[in-house]
Amino acid sequence: MKRRQFIRNAGAAVSIPMLLNGFRLSALSKPLLFNGVNDETDRVLVLIQLNGGNDGLNMVLPLDQYASLHIARPNIIIPESAALQITDTVGLHPEMTGMNSLYHQGKLEVIQSVGYPNQNRSHFRSMEIFSTGSPADEFWNTGWMGRYFDDNYPGFPEGYPSGENPDPFAITMGYSVSATCQGQAANFSMTLNDPFNLSQIPENDGSEILDTRYGEELAYLLAIIRQTNRYSERIELAANNGHNMAQYPSTGLARQLKNIALLISGGLQTKVYVASLGGFDTHAGQVEDGDPTSGSHAELLKTLSDAVKAFQDDLQAQGLEERVIGMTFSEFGRQIRSNESLGTDHGTAAPLIMFGSCVKPQVYGDNPEIPFNVDVQEALPMQNDFRDVYGSILMDWFGVPESDVRTMMHPEFTPLPIVSCSLISDTRSPETDDGLAVRNFPNPFQDWSTIAFTSPKEDWVRLSVFDAFGSEVAELVNKKLSAGEHEVRFEGRNLPAGSYYYRLMIGNTQKTKLMIKAR
Amino acid sequence: MSNSTTLTYPLSAPPVVLSGLEPYSGPWEYEQAAHLLRRTTFGPTRAVIRQAVDQGLAATIEQLFDDLPMPEPPVNPAYDSDPNVAIGESWVDKGYSSPNPPDEMEYRERSLFAWTIGQMMNEEISIREKLTLFWHNHFPIAAIEDPRYMYRYITTLRAHAWGNFKELAKAITIDPSMLIYLNGNRNSFEAPNENYARELLELFTIGKGPSAGPGDYTNYTEHDVREMARVLSGWEDYGFTAEEPDSEVGAEFKPEKHDTGTKTLSHRFGNKTITNMGEDEYSHLIDVIFEQDQVARFIARRLYIWFVDYKIEEDAETDVIGAMAQILIDNNYEIKPALQTLFGSQHFFDMRNKGLMIKNPIDFLLSIYKPLEISLPEPTDQKYDAWYRVFGFADEMKMSYFQVPEVAGWDSYYREPLFYRLWINSTTLPIRMRISETLIMEGYFPFGANGPKMHPDLLGIIATFSNPTNPNVVIDEFAQILLPMPITDGQKAALKELLIPGLPDFEWTLEYGEYAANPDNSDLANAIDEKVRIMVKTMLSMAEFYLS
Repeated sequence: MKRRQFIRNAGAAVSIPMLLNGFRLSALSKPLLFNGVNDETDRVLVLIQLNGGNDGLNMVLPLDQYASLHIARPNIIIPESAALQITDTVGLHPEMTGMNSLYHQGKLEVIQSVGYPNQNRSHFRSMEIFSTGSPADEFWNTGWMGRYFDDNYPGFPEGYPSGENPDPFAITMGYSVSATCQGQAANFSMTLNDPFNLSQIPENDGSEILDTRYGEELAYLLAIIRQTNRYSERIELAANNGHNMAQYPSTGLARQLKNIALLISGGLQTKVYVASLGGFDTHAGQVEDGDPTSGSHAELLKTLSDAVKAFQDDLQAQGLEERVIGMTFSEFGRQIRSNESLGTDHGTAAPLIMFGSCVKPQVYGDNPEIPFNVDVQEALPMQNDFRDVYGSILMDWFGVPESDVRTMMHPEFTPLPIVSCSLISDTRSPETDDGLAVRNFPNPFQDWSTIAFTSPKEDWVRLSVFDAFGSEVAELVNKKLSAGEHEVRFEGRNLPAGSYYYRLMIGNTQKTKLMIKAR
Repeated sequence: MSNSTTLTYPLSAPPVVLSGLEPYSGPWEYEQAAHLLRRTTFGPTRAVIRQAVDQGLAATIEQLFDDLPMPEPPVNPAYDSDPNVAIGESWVDKGYSSPNPPDEMEYRERSLFAWTIGQMMNEEISIREKLTLFWHNHFPIAAIEDPRYMYRYITTLRAHAWGNFKELAKAITIDPSMLIYLNGNRNSFEAPNENYARELLELFTIGKGPSAGPGDYTNYTEHDVREMARVLSGWEDYGFTAEEPDSEVGAEFKPEKHDTGTKTLSHRFGNKTITNMGEDEYSHLIDVIFEQDQVARFIARRLYIWFVDYKIEEDAETDVIGAMAQILIDNNYEIKPALQTLFGSQHFFDMRNKGLMIKNPIDFLLSIYKPLEISLPEPTDQKYDAWYRVFGFADEMKMSYFQVPEVAGWDSYYREPLFYRLWINSTTLPIRMRISETLIMEGYFPFGANGPKMHPDLLGIIATFSNPTNPNVVIDEFAQILLPMPITDGQKAALKELLIPGLPDFEWTLEYGEYAANPDNSDLANAIDEKVRIMVKTMLSMAEFYLS
């Protein structure tokens, strides 16, 4: 049985069954991942990059907002009756039957309205931000997973692969390395198309590396050739050792996930796999005229959902589920209003989907509030900061201490309760997202409005206001406040009329609400 | 293998102070001419490089920009069922027999793709094809199904190759393919679509500056995107195969779809207002954008990355890119003067800038085909097939003409920090290796397994060498043809091992001499040919060969 391979080293360290039974690992001084003895029990993260900007509002359907949505996107809205309902107020697109059944099996999680302040609406720039984890106004050269690898494997690519780390740290399926895995000196991911068709590249000796730009590029080429050969040997080994035990659809994404499952099954110690699906830039023809449940977006969601379902079934059949979680991400969501071309234009926040038996099976966060009068270009306000999502994965799934996550992601990192099977002892309160009492009055307002909230205990409180384009217009609170009732006045005298959103975070719970400045 | 590191001549480290755009005054020899032609053309042969040496730097730069007639359009090479186009005739202005006819569209598309490779194959000392590809990367399109549209688009780029950037931006803004690609044809008064307006600013003309506040990118704002989308409303393409199969291809202004209101730009454009100008409004908008000097700097930087290096030193940013930008402004955005100054400059020939560019797949392929003189068949249908084969190879390595992966172009020309290095990874490396090995060792079959094999005539090339009976000369001169920089004695020794394993040099002299005396003896010829093939194949597998 395949599992045997993974517990081969079990005698030396914590064994898998203990992990599976929820054994608390927080007692270990060092994250399990890096002590070098238990690598084969290591955890895997599968990222699925949805290229083009996914229309979240037609994927995760906020059923309690349909009155407004019918006005804003009448030509493309998914009929309520067709929704695959997963909670009282949330439905999935009707083509997402696979993910719907994963949700009911407790293996799917929806994180609502993920984005960042002042979201950029360019594909190029926003994908860069989503890959690097930088703030919107800073240009970072390393990816968020790349920084994590840099911290743990300094000097890469020099000296890798090594005896202790014989396998690629990350693999991007396809032809171009993922920017998420970009480290200081090199990208930590190798690309892979067909694990059974890897050839060795001649390593010609004798090059002299001079201290010139020519020398610099030549050294890079030589390093990649050498590394590719070493890693290819390992991949081939894993591919031949591994199995698939589920039927996959015949789509490109399914093929990528099938190969990922094969390599995990074969014992490859790669920690991050990146798959991708393109075509989400649905400015036109997102749905078919007169049949909004079909069209290009429906096909994409079906491709995604069916492929993930097959992948999860495969992992389950092979007893690998507890080692793997997955997450989708896209550069932005789309605007609330549809256009006349049966499409949608670039927007801001969007839901993100996580899958695996170690994600919390929940819809995390509230449905976005859709105003009756949606402005041109208006998009969804951020509810969950993507860096908090990434950071929580680093912390809970890979066991990176919270203080390190702050350094890697952002100083105001707030862990979110989105991953179970945590490697870090969980000091966070259980899910209390309905627990935050917050309101504003008057609403609609003319010049100002008072935002009132109750803090259940003494805690760090952040309260910001965003406009309809996702720009932060005011930070009202960012400090520790005592338990009890608080009121903050928001001055909006100089702002144009329209929709505004305020986002309250107390500890690690947050709520985003709509308020209207009267015209 | 010996690991000696003695060099034929020393490579200097980069100088502390980088040179600028002052005229180049150093030697003009094979090395310099090869550097210039490898960066500005595809796969120059040794003969062409020598021709450039003979005629001098100034004349070579002039020739690179010599006006050429537009190429003859692609033809129907072999498809016998197109009622509108006979075999051997061009299809570019011919309608289809029905909407979306799959076979007619397929042969025309193959013909266009093949012919495009043919343009690069046939070109000698001209920068036109490299600039056409530059513009294709700059103003990309993808997934345009109608080959007539793509032909029209690429012809516009080619016609403006080193012409006026502003005029090109105008032409592309209402190009039928671009109207489809970035939804300009869906942009109307009633339903504004800002896709093109956004990319026009961010990627095509002025670029984003640092974030200066919500929706403000220093060079422009979100408000400008919205207002410019209004300016650009009302344009539609016509003649698409699915809708009007027998119409010609073009773009037209539909006044009823145009937003006639007054548009007010942000303070980044001096709060300028644009009142209704109907079908001239788009052109006026381009003029307004090009009044900003940032446009010149933006395109100068793109040209620098395309022709010099992706690493831009501080000095180069001011002394080279800044200076090129000024030349562009002084010449009302004519591209030629800025590029000619660059190619004639001290900076371009600085040792720092040589051999550092990882070839893109098309450059990689043509730097095998052309310098090794892989001959292509003459009959039109076979020639198109052979060209199409090259297109297919490039496609395998993720560079398909007419299918640019992102609106920002191929990531090797914009994605920090790896840039050109993105061409090279564990997936594309083995493909490069396999293709070069196939071309040299087996030859390839452009027309299916029964067709003639095409491969280089290496013995013919050796016969042109200064002294083919000396194995060291054979290696040196092949290295000169294929590699960007001198290689080490250790590398030469390893290559010589492939010609005369474990034997003294005179054994080669004997063997080659015998073959030269009896050139019709196929046993002798095959023995030499086999050795040379293995040596050249190995040279193509060296990391050095990937650089230009």
